[in-house]
Formats: sequence, C-alpha cells, structure tokens
Amino acid sequence: MPETTPPGDVANPPTAATAALSKKGLGAGTVGLLGAIVIGISCIAPAYTLTGALGPTVAVVGTHVPAIFLVGFIPMLLVAFGYRELNSRMPDSGTSFTWATRAFGPWIGWLAGWGLIAATIVVLSNLAGIAVDFFYLMLSQIFQNPSIADLTSNPFVNVVTCLAFMLGATLISYRDMQTTQKLQYVLVGFQLLVMVFFGVVAFIHVGAGDAFDATAISLDWFNPFAVGSFSAFAAGLSLSIFIFWGWDVTLTMSEETKGSTKTPGRAATLTVVIIVVLYLFLSVALISYSGVGEGEYGLGNSDIQGNVFFSLAGPILGPLAILVSIAVLSSSAASLQSTFVSPARTLLAMGHYGALSPKFATVHPKFFTPGYATIVSSVVASVFYTVMRFVSEDVLWDTITTLGMLICFYYGLTAFACVWYFRKQWFASARNAFFQFAAPLVGGLILAVLFVTTLIESANPDYGSGSNIGGVGLVFILGVVIILLGIVIMVVQSRVRPEFFRGRILAAGVAGDANETAAALPE
Amino acid sequence: MRYVVGYTDTDEGRDALALAVRLARTTGARLDLVLVLESAERATLVPADPGYERYLRETTEGWLATGLAHVPAGIEATTHVVYAESPADGLLEAVETLRAELIVIGTSPTGLLGRFTLGSDANALLHSAPVPVALAPGGCAAAGGAPISRVTCAIGTRPGADELLAAAIGATRRGDVPLRLVSLVALDQPGGAPASATGTAHPDAATRAEAHAAAVLEEAVAHLPATITVTSQVATGRRIEDAVAALDWWPDEIALVGSSRLAQPKRLFLGSTAAKMLRELPVPLMVVPRDAEFTLGDL
Repeated sequence: MPETTPPGDVANPPTAATAALSKKGLGAGTVGLLGAIVIGISCIAPAYTLTGALGPTVAVVGTHVPAIFLVGFIPMLLVAFGYRELNSRMPDSGTSFTWATRAFGPWIGWLAGWGLIAATIVVLSNLAGIAVDFFYLMLSQIFQNPSIADLTSNPFVNVVTCLAFMLGATLISYRDMQTTQKLQYVLVGFQLLVMVFFGVVAFIHVGAGDAFDATAISLDWFNPFAVGSFSAFAAGLSLSIFIFWGWDVTLTMSEETKGSTKTPGRAATLTVVIIVVLYLFLSVALISYSGVGEGEYGLGNSDIQGNVFFSLAGPILGPLAILVSIAVLSSSAASLQSTFVSPARTLLAMGHYGALSPKFATVHPKFFTPGYATIVSSVVASVFYTVMRFVSEDVLWDTITTLGMLICFYYGLTAFACVWYFRKQWFASARNAFFQFAAPLVGGLILAVLFVTTLIESANPDYGSGSNIGGVGLVFILGVVIILLGIVIMVVQSRVRPEFFRGRILAAGVAGDANETAAALPE
Repeated sequence: MRYVVGYTDTDEGRDALALAVRLARTTGARLDLVLVLESAERATLVPADPGYERYLRETTEGWLATGLAHVPAGIEATTHVVYAESPADGLLEAVETLRAELIVIGTSPTGLLGRFTLGSDANALLHSAPVPVALAPGGCAAAGGAPISRVTCAIGTRPGADELLAAAIGATRRGDVPLRLVSLVALDQPGGAPASATGTAHPDAATRAEAHAAAVLEEAVAHLPATITVTSQVATGRRIEDAVAALDWWPDEIALVGSSRLAQPKRLFLGSTAAKMLRELPVPLMVVPRDAEFTLGDL
C-alpha cells in the first residue's frame, strides 16, 4: 500500500534508511567566514557599483564623496538591523513584501514588494548596460582599435548586446547554473586586486605630476558637514545607499554559516570594512587624479559620469586598462546572477500568497528555480532598458539615481514594518529596544526623508544628468510612473484576487501572534 | 527488495515511475520515489534563502505525493527528497542507504536520434551505478501498467557476461517470465567480422555466435526451473542497429544489456553496442554493470 513518510510520523516511524535520507535538509553550517565574505562582496559588486555611482555622486557633492560614502553606510546599517530581526522571525522568500504585509496589511505590503521588484529590475538593466560598455571597451583593447569602444554609443548595437547579456543571465538563473567556489574566490580576489592596483597607479600619476588634474587631498573631503546644501547631501546619500545595497545579505546568512555563532557578524563586519576601505581609497585616488572639473577626464564631466572607469581606465593604466574591463565585467556578471534571484523570489512569494497570479509561484520541475517569475523579471528589465536607452540622454546615470530613490522607498517601508511589527516587545529588553525599535526607526526615517527629498528635487529638469521630458526631470517621472504603475496593478489585482487584499491569506499582526507561522513559506 | 525511482515532475519522471510499477508488479519489489534537490552545500554566488529552500521542499514533496498517488494498491512505495551535488549522486546515495537493487530513470522523450536519448544526468548515473539501471523510454507512462511479459538478454562473450546472465536469470525466475537470450552480430564491424569486398559476411562470425548462444542457453536452462521457457536467438545485421531492428519484440518485455564493453577507465559506462541498441529498442532497457555489487541474481 502506498505510504508517505514525513519525518517523525508517528503512524509510520521512519526506518533507519528513510531517516538517514530525510535528515539532510538545508545545508546548515556550510558557508565559512571566507565564503560569507566572498558572497557579500560578490553581491555588492564593488567594481560595478563604483563605476556606476562615483560620477553621479561627484556631480552632487563634488569632492565630498568620501564623506558621503561614510555617512551613507549609517542608514544602511540601521535598516539592516531591522531586516535581520524580521528575517530571523519570519524567514520568507518574500522578504519586504511578506514582512510589510504582516506589519501593515496587504496594501502597503504589496507596494513594498513592488518597490523591491522595481528596484531590482532597474538595477538589472543598469548592470547589463554597464556590462555592454565594458564589453566593447574590452574588445577595443584586445584588438587595439579604439573605434570598437564607440560601438556602445550606437543605441541599436547597445540595446541588442544588452538584450543578449540579459538572455544569458536569464538562462543562467533559470537553469540555476553555479560557478565553482574556487572560481568565485578567484573572481572576487581579482576584482579587489585590480581595483587596488587601479587606485595605486592613479596615485603614482599624481606623484609623478602627470595626472589629468592633480588635486591635493584634503581632510575636508571626509567632512559631511562641508557639503554645500541639504539637497545635495540628500541626493548624495541616496546614491551611497545604492553602493552598500547587497551588504545586508551577509548579516542574514546566520543559518548557513559554520563555525561559531559570531561568524555572520564577523563576515558582515569584515565585508563592510573591506568595501568601505576600497571605496574610500579608490574615490580619493580618482578625485586626486582627475579632479572634479568638467575637462575631458574630470569627474565633473557629465559625459563620463555614468560610467567613470570606462573613461579613466585607459588614461591611468594604459595597456593594462583591460584588467579594469575584465574586473568590471566579472563583477557585473556575478552581480547579475545574484540580483536576478531577488525579484524572482519576491514574485514567487506574491504568487504563492495570492497577491499576484499563481503562475508566479510555479517552480521549474527540473531546475527547481522560480522559472516563470525569472522570465517575467528578465522581460520587464529588458523592455525597461530598451525604452530608457531611447528616452534618456544618459541612461546609466538616470537609472542609478532612480534606483537610489526606489531603494529608499522599499527599505524605508521594511524598516518601519520592523518597528511596527515588534511594537509589543520593544522594551522587553535593551537588545529589542535597539534592534527592533531605535535602529530601524531612525534608519527608516532617514530613508523616508531621502526618498521625499530626492523625489521633489528630481522634478527639476536640471537634476542629475539633466534628462527631462517636457521640462520635468526624467528621474522624477520614472519614480512617479513606477510607483503609480504599482498602484494601478495593485488595484487591478485586488479586483481579480480579492482574497489576499481582504487579509485572508496573510493577515496583519504583531510579533508572536498566532498568524506568525503563516508568513513563513510555505503555509 | 527495493527499487529507487528517479522521480521528477516531468514526463521522464512519470515514465520512470510507470516502468518501475511494472517491474514491481513482476518482481514484488517495493518502490522508493527519490527526488534529488541540489545540495545547499554547493558553492553559490547567491545567498541561500531558507524561505525559498523550505518552499521548494514543500513543493517537491507535493510532486512526490502526486507521483505516489499513481502507484496502484498492492505495491509498497515510499517517497524521499534528498539533497546532493547532482541528480546522479543523489540517486546513488539513495541506492546505498536504502540497499536498493535497481535504479529506474526516464529518458528524454524528445530525442532526435531515436527513442532514447540520455542526458548528462543519466550518463553520469550509468557511468558509476553499482546496481542495474533501468531506462524508461518516452511514452512509458501512457503505455499501461502490464507486468513484464518476457526478458530479453543481449549477451556477448566479453567480461561481465556472467554477471549479466546471472541478472537475467534472477529477473526471469523472480518474475516467472520467459527468457530470451540474444547474440547480436554486426557483420560490418571488426568485433563481428571483416566484411569482404563484396559485402558478404565472414562466415565464422555467425558460426561462433551460434556456438556461444548454445552454451549460454545451456547454462540458463540449468539455473532455471523447467516451467520457465528459455529461448536463444542469433540476430545478424550489417550494423548492431540492424541486428536489433531485425528482432521481434513483445509489447511488454524488457531488454537487458551489460556494461562489459565499456567499463574501461574514463570511458562511458554505456558502450557502443548498448548505445546502439538504445537507439533502436522499442522496449525499456536495463543496463547491468560489470562489477555489480548486487544484481538481480542475488535472490
């Protein structure tokens, strides 16, 4: 007679053989300290992040980039504490969506999920765009033919190449192909070494007196209060949130790390120290070399700000510039892979809880990935990039700025969700008071202020890259369109799938209530 | 006796299950439906997500439950989700843990080259399995659940032939079905006989095959009760494929081949003859390893 043997079933006590088969579950304790740091750095993708974010940040705060990078870490850290609290209480692949739903109910939860998906889709298109630039730069370096590098500015060539990259990344995610651990270590190590080498050579040029616009380092660069205006400060901060995005994963890898219980904390700390030191070193090096003027290689030159390494690698490294291309390409590739997973998993959770079509909750029978959700994310990111490439004067810059805004939006909601969800146990202990109340509250407030400020400022046509439609800043239009589109889709879904929106599937509540386990997939 | 079924929520998985049910009906074995998930221990650039892992586990257990519902009453069956580096590793570990005597897997039904196409997972399994591997051709799931009606064993003279014969005898005795012993002779091949300039075969090849077949038949008869019919047949053709195609097949029979030709180091477990048979066979195929730890003969 057919029978199932759930582990520990009393009616069918598992035989020794079945027990041995079922006991291996999640790979508890499989990622060591080094492995966790490698995953963390790989997710942050410093080479990609810095080439994308340095220019736009210089554009708003000038030489005060190091200060802004340091300050930008604070809200990230505070929100990450809240993220970790929620993750350990409700480990669910829907993350922000699930947690915000549990704290504030279906409508706000839906929007938080939408914010996360939109942010990751925007970053996917930016990543692929940066990869296209460096792909042609690398080809031109290999064949020593500078005209190949210009191909990337042909919108058709650019879009077609970008779509090809997207397709590759989608296939890798869809089929869940993974690189070996050794290769990951090599790629991450290579990325870090090349970035350090890049900075050192920039300093050598400054010392030798042949830098493009040698600028003396000043302590003032590290002083956040020296930034001219609050709006510049806010704009810089929202960009620097982006450069630390992805770091939070190291903090939440608690169940997988081996060694002592301190491993995740150590990994997160070491990761962020490495990243911060690298960012400071490289930004100081490049500002010293190029200055923030608007000359050919000046960081203030709006033509190079969307992708600064692309323009500076050649003048600084000469024939070795190809190393930077390889580092950024491998960094983008790794980041594409880890980034693809998060919208797909959130879509899967939304499908599972009935907030979207149940198709999103399907798992591929052979590759065990959220196949449908992965393909939808990829198609949307591709369409988004294609439209942006033709609409925007500076697609990379605009997407990074929009991204900063969207991260503030959904991270802010997540932080508030943490505060509200744990409202009955804030002061149960000093630990709770800090991690569940104070830290996420302050972090959330900072992000909320940044979000609102960026949104208002970006309506100005001169904001950021200066892209605008009919005199209204493109970043503002993007932000508003993305959020309004989310609201429209949400209202449509509430008609089609009313169960979720009546709170019958995933009910709002507080920490420790009877519904808490419902939020941990599967029900 | 336990059979491990490599189950997935795909046509191949359902084919494998259907074949396993038919085999179990014949031999009375119990089935272990095993679904292999990628181990979280593997290296990954993507941070692990316990929420997703749990969702995956629940989903796959649901698939297994659906599969289990297709196992008819009277056949004992159990389901397992296991974690391993690869599907082949997972099935092999399950075989070891459960002391199973057979692995049943599906083959891709969309093969361009013929009825069976082997994916890399099936190849890896055939490369290293210590127990026989039964390959279900596409469409097995739709073909009905009749017990096995006859065992055909393609037997040669290479090392491993004894184990193969033992397996065939064991299966036949257990299922109480007729056994047909087949010698395949490819006239074009150096292994068969060099073709002369006119294309006619070397006369020795067929003669030697006849003599070998007679010896094997004698041995099989000696080990089987008189109620079981044993026949012997020499099939010739220009190529092995032609020889296989020339044989007549009963709808519900199964073919056994050995891995003897192929068990050289770093060579595919499934050698040229078996691979060629795969392309032509209209029935499920069972591959018996040369160095089988247990075979169907251990009864």
